[in-house]
Amino acid sequence: MTHESEKLLFSAFKTTLPVLFGYIPLGMAFGLLLAGAGYHWIYALVMSIFIYTGAGQFIAVALLAAGAQLMEFVTITLLINLRHSFYGLSLLDKFSGVGKVKPYLMFALTDETYALLTTTTVPEGASKARFYFYISVLDHLYWIAGSVLGAVLGSMLRLNLEGLTFVLAALFVVLTLEQYYASRARFPFMAAMGAGVLSLLLFSPDNMLLLSIMIGTLILIMYERTTKGKNSEPLSNDSATREELL
Amino acid sequence: MTDTAYMLVVIAAVALATFATRALPFIFFSRREPPELLSTIEKNLPPMILLLLVIYCLKDVQWFEPPYGVPEIFTIAVVTVLHIWRRNAMLSIFAGTGLYMVLVQLIF
Repeated sequence: MTHESEKLLFSAFKTTLPVLFGYIPLGMAFGLLLAGAGYHWIYALVMSIFIYTGAGQFIAVALLAAGAQLMEFVTITLLINLRHSFYGLSLLDKFSGVGKVKPYLMFALTDETYALLTTTTVPEGASKARFYFYISVLDHLYWIAGSVLGAVLGSMLRLNLEGLTFVLAALFVVLTLEQYYASRARFPFMAAMGAGVLSLLLFSPDNMLLLSIMIGTLILIMYERTTKGKNSEPLSNDSATREELL
Repeated sequence: MTDTAYMLVVIAAVALATFATRALPFIFFSRREPPELLSTIEKNLPPMILLLLVIYCLKDVQWFEPPYGVPEIFTIAVVTVLHIWRRNAMLSIFAGTGLYMVLVQLIF
């Protein structure tokens, strides 16, 4: 590995540190759950390599225990992970021109990786594709390591990790603030507050993220439509003034 | 079907379904231009989704039972103030997480 890519890898490592501290305990919780359901740790490894989704893997264990039909696995997974389609929508530009790592970047697009990729800037002079790839791979490795660790060590470990997964909430808070500094747009935050609090009140914990993203996106579309209506100039003309409006 | 084979089929199905949700927008818009409306909300999606992810982390809080979400709200407030003050991501994240662990393990 050249000195340049070593430096870039280290920079990606620093960026993903909070995810390391979040994915290890969260992955361990999944491994514990799977081992508790009577499955060999090798399944934790296989699932975390090939499925790689937090909530989805937890629910898969519950479905396994309930002896669900294959169609149920597919439907529920699609519903739980549909939010990721919204992630991709805002990464179409960023992922264009990343070359042969694109399929992997798409595959590895978890909530946390999405949050990092949309907020972190690529170090000056470095390759975007390589930086995104490092971040994605590192996060993936943390998740795999955590879940195998949980499944293997299981009940042997007596560490009190209660509360450690809140590191992910803290990460999201910091990244939200960085988004706030990076853009003059204020309406997305208002839309999120409205849609988020509403969903917290109305929907079950399992459904709220997807539904809140859908409601929030609808609010954004409606807002865009009404400001476009008031504004006589065409939308695509001047993105700077449009940004000021938001 | 043996247990192992069934398990592998289930894993493959869940893996494909997960990948499908992540790949969908890229496949859908690989050959056509995204509609204008989409490109205008595109850059507003990340800030909105990130704040929604923060709110999502509160999904299991019992607001009407002690401790009424105090550890979560207090920690989020501390992380916010700390980050506005020092703008040091690692400091904000790890001080906040440490504080939260102390709160839920020792105090509440």
